Amino acid sequence: MTLRSARLLVLLAATALAPPASAKDGFVLDDEVAICAGCHGEDGVPVDPEYPAIWGQQYFYIYTQLRDYAAGRRENEIMTGVAAEYDKDQAKQLAEHFAAQTWPAIPSQAQDGDEALANTAFTAAQCSACHGKWQGDSRIPRLAGQQAGYLSKTMHDFKTEVRMNAPDMSNIMKQYDEPTIEAMARYLSSLVLH
Amino acid sequence: MRDWSRLAASCLAALVASAPAHAQDETSASTLYGDLQSVTQSMLSRAAGDGNNFLHTNGNYAQTRYYPASQINTGNVRNLRPAWIFQTDIVDSMETSPIVVNGVMYITTAFNEVYAIDARTGAQIWHHKHSMGPVTTYCCGPNNRGVAVAGDKVFMGTLDAKLVALDAKTGKQLWETQIADAELGYSETMAPSVVENMVLIGTNGGEYGIRGFVKAFDTETGELIWTFNTVPEDSVGVWATHDATGRDMHRDIDAEKASLESMGDPYETLGGGVWQNPAVDLAERRIYFVVGNPSPDLDGSLRPGDNLYTDSLVSVNLDTGEYVCHFQYIAHDVWDLDAVSPPIITTVKDDAGNDVKGILHGGKTGHVYVHKADDCSLIRYSEAMVPQEDMWTLPTAEGARMLPGANGGVEWSPMAIDPSLHLTYAINLHQPMTYTVRSTPYPEGKIWLGGSFDVIPDEAQWGNITAVDYNTGDIAWQVRTAEPMIGGVLATAGGLVFTGEGNGLFKAYDSSNGGELWRFQAGAGVNAPPSSYTVEGQQYIVVAAGGNSQLNYKRGNNIIAFTLAD
Repeated sequence: MTLRSARLLVLLAATALAPPASAKDGFVLDDEVAICAGCHGEDGVPVDPEYPAIWGQQYFYIYTQLRDYAAGRRENEIMTGVAAEYDKDQAKQLAEHFAAQTWPAIPSQAQDGDEALANTAFTAAQCSACHGKWQGDSRIPRLAGQQAGYLSKTMHDFKTEVRMNAPDMSNIMKQYDEPTIEAMARYLSSLVLH
Repeated sequence: MRDWSRLAASCLAALVASAPAHAQDETSASTLYGDLQSVTQSMLSRAAGDGNNFLHTNGNYAQTRYYPASQINTGNVRNLRPAWIFQTDIVDSMETSPIVVNGVMYITTAFNEVYAIDARTGAQIWHHKHSMGPVTTYCCGPNNRGVAVAGDKVFMGTLDAKLVALDAKTGKQLWETQIADAELGYSETMAPSVVENMVLIGTNGGEYGIRGFVKAFDTETGELIWTFNTVPEDSVGVWATHDATGRDMHRDIDAEKASLESMGDPYETLGGGVWQNPAVDLAERRIYFVVGNPSPDLDGSLRPGDNLYTDSLVSVNLDTGEYVCHFQYIAHDVWDLDAVSPPIITTVKDDAGNDVKGILHGGKTGHVYVHKADDCSLIRYSEAMVPQEDMWTLPTAEGARMLPGANGGVEWSPMAIDPSLHLTYAINLHQPMTYTVRSTPYPEGKIWLGGSFDVIPDEAQWGNITAVDYNTGDIAWQVRTAEPMIGGVLATAGGLVFTGEGNGLFKAYDSSNGGELWRFQAGAGVNAPPSSYTVEGQQYIVVAAGGNSQLNYKRGNNIIAFTLAD
């Protein structure tokens, strides 16, 4: 059993024991943050390349994702159960906490040709109309410096309609092939934050 | 110390001697910098003839963007040089129209920062950063198109859907009011307009399932005076099957009627944003504005009917906001080829050749539409300024090619006119796209296109500057540019047309024939409308070079003012 699998089992067991409630009983922010750190990292660097960095992510984006998980609009074997326990106020507290943290420095490097291929794709789909300079804003997530593995998985999940809580992203991702998605993921991951 | 009155007099004399034969209604002696006098209603009303200030987003209440000063003209524009460059703190898309009051300039940046600048030197006077709320929802980029000025106040709409009033002398906020709920997709990128005691402003959100509006707020208190909903509770209309030019839009009316029966009128989430300032007719107490696309953009199955008043020219009463008339260009639009470029009031020829008060609008379809002002009816439409192919091919699940692409035609970019030539100047985009439809339910504040419009990567893109004779609909001249055009146009009594490009070029053309007379490389996309002003006897042209998020043109942070070299 890998470390990742073990963590999954612990979390799944923890979330399966308690049925979804309107508010998590005994909610203590520090305790919840500690649970989140099991995957998203004690220092903000996630323990798995396919897990997103959430330290310094946009407040309203984190809050919206927690609510979408809770409502079944976005599904994940871990997050669905975790988020379903929080009411709106608890979700906001968590979002505020993580948004206030410093974005982690995660080493990442693009390959030759990634930037050109990515920029062609960005222009074709008018990505910067929403994502701007990739720093995120409110409900738009920060992508610059995000983990390449997570970005790739997310774009694939949109393309294959595994992720359904932003349907227009599926429309956009369906036009991109595998090399383009990987180039976008590596390029965005390599961007230095300002 | 220089003798400014003598300098002003000599400049005015030079102006008269060198000016080409263009109408110049009223250019008073130059004002001195910095008296910071209040902006009176008289000043706002007479802005069309004010060769010193630039008081409205589009120059004057008629929105002609025709500047009456002619010190800079076809004979000397080759000597135009940067007078100063001001760099903002925000390096991002800039769409601001610089406003100039007695030598003080007000500009805005992305994310709602405002600067007051000495218009002679480029020195900063004050800087205001809006305290942005945690929730913003906007398209297409964190843009702002500028401020309105009146009295001792500066007004701005914000990305978090607020209207704020600032002290013109200090930049301190005097009041703010929440216009609508940002969580549901409402935001403000347009500049407000001020008429008497009212601040007029529309809303963004046509990509998020809002219900659009134009609202009037009290200039002193921020209290709401009236609201006009751009989507009425009965949005069905007349089941129009053809567009304004008579082309079949291939609607399945029977299917739509069945949908209407089962789902009811979709007005609550039907979109209909208003992206740009209204034209104001003070004599008739009316305003004219254009209404944007229905939501979701590409999926008509969820919104049966004509989707009134989306994709329309609309006129309402200035004092009450009550409906007066409308004209819909595209009923039940499924291509996002909506109405966004601000309308212009001017005298036009009707079908019988008589002079009538008219309204001009540059459409994303690529036509300039010419209307009668009294009833909004269409007099004529121009030749197509960009290629049109396979109109109106319906979007498909696989993606269907049709031209123009979804950015137009003419985007939000304001046109300008030269009434002495009866020409209107538009900037165009040629961006071949495919239109894809995919039905998804209303997502409560998330982007809701109902599909996608995708640039075809291996097809050439380009732009135009096009002069259209609004009395005939004919294209008088047209100049090709390397990239699709977005930003805006300024025409002047000096016989000039100014506009910028995404590649950083800012150019002056002969307004009568399109001949290029001057160019400057700004280093970042020039994708904002230029303004002009005269201070201490010196005429300036000013423009923002900040690039554009929507078309991914190189971002920058410069405000550049040009004047004639000594």
